Amino acid sequence: MSLLKVDGVTSGYGDMEVLHTVSLEVGPQEIVTIIGPNGAGKSTLMKTIFGLLAPSVGTIRFNEQNITGLSPDRIVRLGMAYVPQVENIFPSLTVQENLEMGAFIRTDDFSDRIDEIYSLFPVLRRRRTQRVGKMSGGERQMVAMGRALMLDPTLILLDEPSAALAPKLAMEIFERITAINETGVAILIVEQNAKESLRLSTRGYVLAAGSNRFTDTGRSLLENEEIGRLYLGG
Amino acid sequence: MSAITQIPQLLVYGIVSGSILALGGIGVSLTYSILGFSNFAHGDIMALGAYIGLGLLGLFTAVGLADTPLGPLSFGPGFILAMVLAAGLTAAAMIIIDRLLFRKLRHAGPIILMMASIGLALGLRNVIQFFWGPQPHYYIARIQVAVPIPGIDARIKSDEVFIIVLAIVLVAGVHAFLRYTKMGKAMRAMADNAALARVTGINTDRVIAWTWVIGGGLAAVAGILAGVENKFITPQLGWQMLLSIFAGVILGGIGNPYGAIIGCVIIGISEEVSTAFISTGYKPAVAFVIMILMLLVRPTGILGRKA
Repeated sequence: MSLLKVDGVTSGYGDMEVLHTVSLEVGPQEIVTIIGPNGAGKSTLMKTIFGLLAPSVGTIRFNEQNITGLSPDRIVRLGMAYVPQVENIFPSLTVQENLEMGAFIRTDDFSDRIDEIYSLFPVLRRRRTQRVGKMSGGERQMVAMGRALMLDPTLILLDEPSAALAPKLAMEIFERITAINETGVAILIVEQNAKESLRLSTRGYVLAAGSNRFTDTGRSLLENEEIGRLYLGG
Repeated sequence: MSAITQIPQLLVYGIVSGSILALGGIGVSLTYSILGFSNFAHGDIMALGAYIGLGLLGLFTAVGLADTPLGPLSFGPGFILAMVLAAGLTAAAMIIIDRLLFRKLRHAGPIILMMASIGLALGLRNVIQFFWGPQPHYYIARIQVAVPIPGIDARIKSDEVFIIVLAIVLVAGVHAFLRYTKMGKAMRAMADNAALARVTGINTDRVIAWTWVIGGGLAAVAGILAGVENKFITPQLGWQMLLSIFAGVILGGIGNPYGAIIGCVIIGISEEVSTAFISTGYKPAVAFVIMILMLLVRPTGILGRKA
C-alpha cells in the first residue's frame, strides 16, 4: 500500500503545461527524492501534489483518498505538510510563534509536540524567543520543517531543503531529515543536492522535461553511471 | 504671543490629535498588511462610527435616558455606552461590507482594491449625508474650561485627557492582542506571508474578519473622539483626517501597526506645532511634506522592514 500515489498527472501554470503524465509513489515511512535538471518540473510537481496547482489530467491519492483538486488547507488537515523552497517561515514571528502557527488548526494542548520539535532541533529551543527573520538560512530551514511537523503529518514535502546552504549546514539539514524520518514520517524531497539526498533515500525518481525518466532505489540511482553523468554532475 | 511660547500648548493639541489619528492609523496599517491595499474608505469608516454614535445618543435621549456628566468630563456613561456600541456596530458593518465588496475582489490586485475602497468612501459619505444631512451636528454642547498643566505653560481639558488615556489603553489592548492571542499571532503571520499562512492551515477568512473588526472598531472610536475634540461632526470628518493618517502610516512604516501609531502621533504634533510658524490652512500640507520627504529619504518608514 502506498501512502501517496501520483498517477499520470499533467499540470502546469495556466496554458503552460509543465508536467506530462507524471507518476510517482511514496510508501509509509519512506524517504523519496525527486532529482532532475532545472526546469524539469520538480517544484511544479510538489505544488500540484499539495493542491496549489490543479492537475488537468491524472489523479493524486493520499492514504487511499482521492485528493486531486483539494485545496491546500484541506490537504494539510489530512496529514500532509509542505515546506516551500523560499518564504517558508513567518519572519517577524519568533521561533515559538512560528511553531504555534503550524498548530493553528489544533484545538488540543500541543506543548508536548513543541517540546518534541525542540528535541529534534535543539538550536531552536535556545532561540525560541528570537525573530526568525534575523536567523541564518539553516536555522530558518529548521523552523520551516518544525512548523510543518506541528500537525503530526504522515508525509512531508520538502522543496530543496538544502538550497543556498553552506555544505556543512546542508549536511546538518540532511541529518535532521533522517531523524524526522525515524519518527515515522514519510518524506518526499526535491533536491539540487541530489547525491546527498539520494544517499539517505529509499527510492528516487529522475524527472526531466516534465516527464518521468528513471526510477530506482536511491543507491542504484547513485551507482548508475548514466544518471551520474547526466544529472549528478559526473 | 511669540511663536516659541505657544509651542507647549500646541504640543498638547498635537498629542490629542495624534492620539485620534493613531487609532485610525492602526486600521489602515492592518488592512494594508493583511488585505494588501491602501484603504481610502478608512476615514469614512471613522465618520460612519461617529454618526452611528450620534444616532445612538439621539436614541438614548428619545427614550428618556438623560446622560449626567462623569466627574470633570463633559459627557457621561451614556456617551461611553454609545461609543462602545458604535464600535461594535461599525465592526459589524465592516464585516458585511467585506462580504459584499472586498471578498469578491480577494484575488484582484492592489490597484483594483484601492479603487473599490475609493468607491466605498464616496458611498459611505453619501449615505451619511443622506440620513444626517451635510450640516454639522453638535456632539457635545457643554462648554469645558481648560485647566493649566502643572510645570508647563499649557492648558488641557478633561475631555482631552480622556482622549489621550483611552488611546493609550486601546493601543495597549491592540498590542496585547497581537502579541499574546492566537488570532493576533495569526494576523501577524498572515501579514508576513499570506501564501504560507494558507498552506499552514491558518483560517485566513477569520483573520480577515478580525482585521475588519479591529480596524472598524478603532475607526469608530477615533471618529467619536474627533467629535468630542471638535464638539461637532460633519460627513467630511474622516475624509479630512485621511491624508494625515496615511502620512503617519507611511512615516511609521507602512504595514507595521506600531509604526503607524508612532507616525500618526508625530504627524499630529507636527501639524499643530507648524501653526506657530505658518498659517493653520497649511496643516494638511505639513502632513503631505513629511510624507513626501519620508518617501524620498527612507521609503520603508521609521519601523518598516526592507522589502
